[in-house]
Amino acid sequence: MSNLKVKSIARTSLIRTLIFSALILLVGLQFDAYNQAQLAVVLILFIGVLSITLLTGISGQLSLGQGALMAVGGYSTALLMINYKLSLWVAIPLSIISSAIAGLLLGVAAARLRGPYLAGTTLVIALAIPTIANRFMSVFKGDEGLQVDVGYPPQWFSSLFGEPTYEQWQLYVALPFAAVALFFASNILLSRTGRMWRSIRDHESAASLAGVNFARQKIYVFVISSTFAGLSGALYGLRGLVGPSVYPVSLSLLLLTAAVLGGIRSIAGAFIGTVIVVFLPDWIELILGNFELSEQVSNYLPALISSLLLILTVVINPAGVAGVKLHKHK
Amino acid sequence: MNAVKNRASLSRSPRKSIAVISVALAGALALTAMPAQGASTPGVSDTEIVLGMQLPQTGAASPGYNKVDDAMRAYFDYVNSKGGVYGRKITLVAKDDAYKAGLTVSTASALINKDKVFAMVGSIGTQTHISVIKDINRRGIPDLFVLSGYSGFYTDPKKYPTTFGSLGTYVVEAKIIGKYIKENLSTKNVGILYQTDDFGRNTVEGLATAGVTFTAKKNAATFIAGAQAGGLDAQMQQLKDNNVEVVVVGATASAFAAAVGSANKIGYKPQYIVISVGSDATTFQTILFTKGIPFASSAALLAGTISASHAPSPGEADDEFVKAFKKINDEFNTGPAAGKAWDNNVLQGMNIGYTMTAALMGAGKDLTRPGIIKYIENNPAKLSSAALAPLGYSAKTHEAYTGFWIGKYDATAVLKPIDGTRKVWTTDSAKGAVTELKYTRPAIAADALPKVG
Repeated sequence: MSNLKVKSIARTSLIRTLIFSALILLVGLQFDAYNQAQLAVVLILFIGVLSITLLTGISGQLSLGQGALMAVGGYSTALLMINYKLSLWVAIPLSIISSAIAGLLLGVAAARLRGPYLAGTTLVIALAIPTIANRFMSVFKGDEGLQVDVGYPPQWFSSLFGEPTYEQWQLYVALPFAAVALFFASNILLSRTGRMWRSIRDHESAASLAGVNFARQKIYVFVISSTFAGLSGALYGLRGLVGPSVYPVSLSLLLLTAAVLGGIRSIAGAFIGTVIVVFLPDWIELILGNFELSEQVSNYLPALISSLLLILTVVINPAGVAGVKLHKHK
Repeated sequence: MNAVKNRASLSRSPRKSIAVISVALAGALALTAMPAQGASTPGVSDTEIVLGMQLPQTGAASPGYNKVDDAMRAYFDYVNSKGGVYGRKITLVAKDDAYKAGLTVSTASALINKDKVFAMVGSIGTQTHISVIKDINRRGIPDLFVLSGYSGFYTDPKKYPTTFGSLGTYVVEAKIIGKYIKENLSTKNVGILYQTDDFGRNTVEGLATAGVTFTAKKNAATFIAGAQAGGLDAQMQQLKDNNVEVVVVGATASAFAAAVGSANKIGYKPQYIVISVGSDATTFQTILFTKGIPFASSAALLAGTISASHAPSPGEADDEFVKAFKKINDEFNTGPAAGKAWDNNVLQGMNIGYTMTAALMGAGKDLTRPGIIKYIENNPAKLSSAALAPLGYSAKTHEAYTGFWIGKYDATAVLKPIDGTRKVWTTDSAKGAVTELKYTRPAIAADALPKVG
């Protein structure tokens, strides 16, 4: 690929990233504290959903255990911050490396597995988190978990921009990482690597004949996807606790739901899907708040409605919200 | 030449865009720096006090505990019907966290930032509460009467100055049970089944302090908290294979029910001694009912089980607090029929409502967050309740009830004092001795409202 082409891709990705960041900041400015915290969760989970976009949407490998890779990132960050007193800005990049190593190990196994076998393997890994946390109690503190959070902004930040609220600070911490993730995801999708991964998804034999070493590329996908999941998990744990009940199997399924609802093959879809799953309970409460529903009904409504949306998406609009345009063009 | 021009124009335009967007980013960041909020107390107006609560209303850990919020709300509604506290009605906003810490963080944010609660009250769950306790304390929000016996929340008020418990700690209870075992069951092979969290580990710690110890994988069986839904077959088989005659259970009610269900399948009938949180009769019977065991049979399975309590048993119909709370529950609990069925969960919910009302009354008309914390810390004796032991709050500890009595379930699933005489025992969460408690519980007023004057 020519240097010019590479620069052009990088520029496009950079512009997307800067527009995204500016919009998040501007929207965040309009929000109250609660919605700022929710927006921070959107950014954190968006990174996790991007890991599914790359792994499942682009390269066609189904994982039901991204939550386990999130846990790797979360536990690495917490251990580095607690045991070595590192700041989160140092601990998170290091934990991304540990997630990449976990992804490499998983990728080596995944290169030999397909479809339901791969999904089953990843699901088992997600289910094993509580057992591992309890087996190595002295390190991971079992079910009690490790208490970590984003702390307070540094003095220079407060001097420059004023003292932010805790929710604003959560948003400011999540935003640069989400922006970097977006930049890299956009680069990958626009580049030759993205095309190679798509070719593996669409036809492994054809990809192989075209010179793609699909076994190696599958491992690469897992490593890259794991870095995204690890980053997401690290930030998710910094909301207060890193422990088994923070990364349940339902978190892996939530990420997959977001990816499918928004559109599993696009970055915009990843973001739209994440917004839907994070804000859906609030929208339901807003709409049905005046009906005085019993707790038994209202507690289950978000899961019920997101399940219905998931079924409708798969049946009527498999490309998700971001893919609506594709269907119109047809 | 044209190509060069085009290349130049292509490269210039994005640079300009990037510069413009970068300036916009910096501007937006500067604009988001908002001034601090005003000084008025959140959640308190002339007519209302808003309180928040987190609990598992759904999920594996919810049976039994999902009744506490309705019971607490029923007591507050009763107080409101009598004019509220200094003319303010009490509103309780309860949020479901399904016993998942990731959700607990979000629901805490909603309670604090959206519902603008004055204080948190009666939140349930050890591992879930750990995820938010630091943030709640950092904000100075009163974190009152937490329904967890984990001593780590309460024994260092410098660490968590706004958090107060509503149970005796698991360590205190286990030490008292340990003394009973040493004195009455020392000839038996005593084992333990516990969940591998603070609840279970605190139980083991308290028993060890009393001199009752176990051997892992022999007479000590463990499981991961919340993983009991499929039964505890392997654990009960392990205890049976090791000829354990007495099984101490340091686990939730749903886990105890699962353990008995599993033991029953293999014809294993040990003597159970259950930490109070896990021994609620109706929760036990309801869970076994869903597994096909009728209520009469489950009552028979529970009969003879030893447990402890800091309060009267809900089955003690003559107790004045039980009588008053039961009446209020019948009239004001708007929860579903199963939810309002009278049991220990409802009694505890009512009791927290009663204690919370007393604290709000005692803190005075000029209600502030630091004011109520100071009042509770300095006036535990004025915060009477249904409990048969006093509250242990002070500047040095925020542990709640310091005493327990030991009883045995009868054939009608009511916990009654062993040998018919109730003795309340007291100790601390450290290495202090277990001694008999001499405490006279203040009577409940005719109108069932607390008097703090």
